[in-house]
Amino acid sequence: MGLGVYQSLFDVFLLNCGFAFSQFIVLRAGVFSIASAAYAGIGGYATAILVTRYGVSAPVAVAAATALGLIVAGVLSIPLARLRGVYQAIATLAFVEIVVSLGFYAEDLTGGAMGINGIPKLVGTGTLCVALGAVLYLMVAIDRSGLGRAFDTVRQDETVAGSLGISVQRSHAIAFIISGGIGGLFGGLQSLYVYSIEPQQFGFALLVSMLASIVLGGRGTVIGPIIGTAILTALPELARPLAENRPLIHGLLLIVIINYLPHGVADSLALLRRRRRAANAV
Amino acid sequence: MEWPILWRSCAVDAAPPMPSETLTLRHVTKRFGGVTAVSDVSFDIPPGRITGLIGPNGAGKSTLVNMIAGVLTLSEGDIRLGSRLLSQAPAFEVARSGIARTFQNIRLLAEASVLDNVLVGFHRLERASLASHLLGLPASWRETRDLRARARDLLNRFGMQRYAEYPAGGLSYGHQRRVEMMRALATQPRLLMLDEPVAGMNDVEAAELGDIFASLARDGMAVLLIEHNVPFVMRLCAEINVLDTGRLIASGPPGTVMRDPAVIAAYLGTG
Ligand SMILES: Nc1ncnc2c1ncn2[C@@H]1O[C@H](COP(=O)(O)OP(=O)(O)OP(=O)(O)O)[C@@H](O)[C@H]1O
Ligand SMILES: [Mg+2]
Repeated sequence: MGLGVYQSLFDVFLLNCGFAFSQFIVLRAGVFSIASAAYAGIGGYATAILVTRYGVSAPVAVAAATALGLIVAGVLSIPLARLRGVYQAIATLAFVEIVVSLGFYAEDLTGGAMGINGIPKLVGTGTLCVALGAVLYLMVAIDRSGLGRAFDTVRQDETVAGSLGISVQRSHAIAFIISGGIGGLFGGLQSLYVYSIEPQQFGFALLVSMLASIVLGGRGTVIGPIIGTAILTALPELARPLAENRPLIHGLLLIVIINYLPHGVADSLALLRRRRRAANAV
Repeated sequence: MEWPILWRSCAVDAAPPMPSETLTLRHVTKRFGGVTAVSDVSFDIPPGRITGLIGPNGAGKSTLVNMIAGVLTLSEGDIRLGSRLLSQAPAFEVARSGIARTFQNIRLLAEASVLDNVLVGFHRLERASLASHLLGLPASWRETRDLRARARDLLNRFGMQRYAEYPAGGLSYGHQRRVEMMRALATQPRLLMLDEPVAGMNDVEAAELGDIFASLARDGMAVLLIEHNVPFVMRLCAEINVLDTGRLIASGPPGTVMRDPAVIAAYLGTG
């Protein structure tokens, strides 16, 4: 493998980290939404169409993709406010299916099954780093704020959250909208990186890899999604003969980790550290 | 869902210190299907003293607390804090109006530290805007720093400072109950509802907490105390209300209530 391979692997890692944070933030607030793949699709198509068809500049197109993600997620959060857990998952899965089918059937706009080709590559490692840096900053800011505390409380016990004056609905809506913005942003960036997009790349496989990176890494700390994504991106490449079997590896890893580290790598470590500190304190 | 919910700051209408107000229950009734758990109950919970609520198992005490807290809807009747009608308000709005509670079956964020459990209680006092949270502005982190200091003060008051970093779920029941009380007090409530706060504690521990409840009431808080330990309730409460199978069978000063034949019958199980 030449250096270039590692470079592009790193870029893929950065993109996947962005997607993972879109998934992370809803789970953090106790929303079992898996709509992030759909936001990525919406942002990806919006950017590709704006750039290839209307000659819009890259920053404007990506900004529009982000805004579209925010808006779509905000609208989606209204009908989903009453749903919880597995019902939220199913409803958002349906939304992902809708977006993928729109990709297939709105041929005039999306190019149908052929997708959109010949998208200029206007995004490189630098841009991806800056975008992920911004998302990380946002995540750390939330983590250290009252909003992060509200998210944590809502996730663990909605009754307790209510008893402390925390609006579950408001927390969920905010998490939804942030998730939409990040999904749209990285969908847009991806379009300007990969030359061509097609509907099925925003479907079940993307959704599973986003979820898997959170389950692997952990949803309680900001570093979790990064660790999870790093494992999922690197492992199939390191075990080169297995690279063809990426889904198989995802699946096996998930089963192993869920069994032995149910909180994910980062959260399990954090928990261990807290227990040890507490043991020293008492 | 309404949109204004997003731009409205988390706790606009809840600036402490707040004037004390009486909570009034009028004809409060709760039916679960065919079962009437609470039936036509009326009494007041005034500020500046501890109001007792006692009764045998299944009398409807926790159901009443859950209705006041906005967790359960009322079948009939109404609940007001001062002039403000609360019977239709969702739980988070009840909490914002200054009503805090502990849970009979303790509900803590089990894996979070004791300090973090108390810290979330300050939500009602947070003033930093959504934008400052998202952008990590000084308004947001200064607030977190200040509230953390206040949480430590509360831990000191309850003698819990050495457990600050301990996962709350790993504590003994007695200590977990204290964490719940600290969390409720962090909201700076006008009314604090305690659902069996000293269950499972020994007399010394119970007396310590009793002193804290008494001092809260002296400082002007309204306190509702639910407890099976009758001597404990008699010592602390100016007025006691007795529920039996959902009905209010007696109200008044401890001495009078405990001599009431209906109360004696209810407690001996012959009523
Ligand atoms: N969600 C519910 N659905 C149906 N019945 C309920 C529900 N909650 C409570 N009840 C019934 O209402 C009655 C009152 O229960 P409640 O928990 O208020 O009693 P309590 O006075 O708090 O008793 P304890 O001293 O045991 O805590 C009981 O008969 C109980 O079975
Ligand atoms: Mg009870």
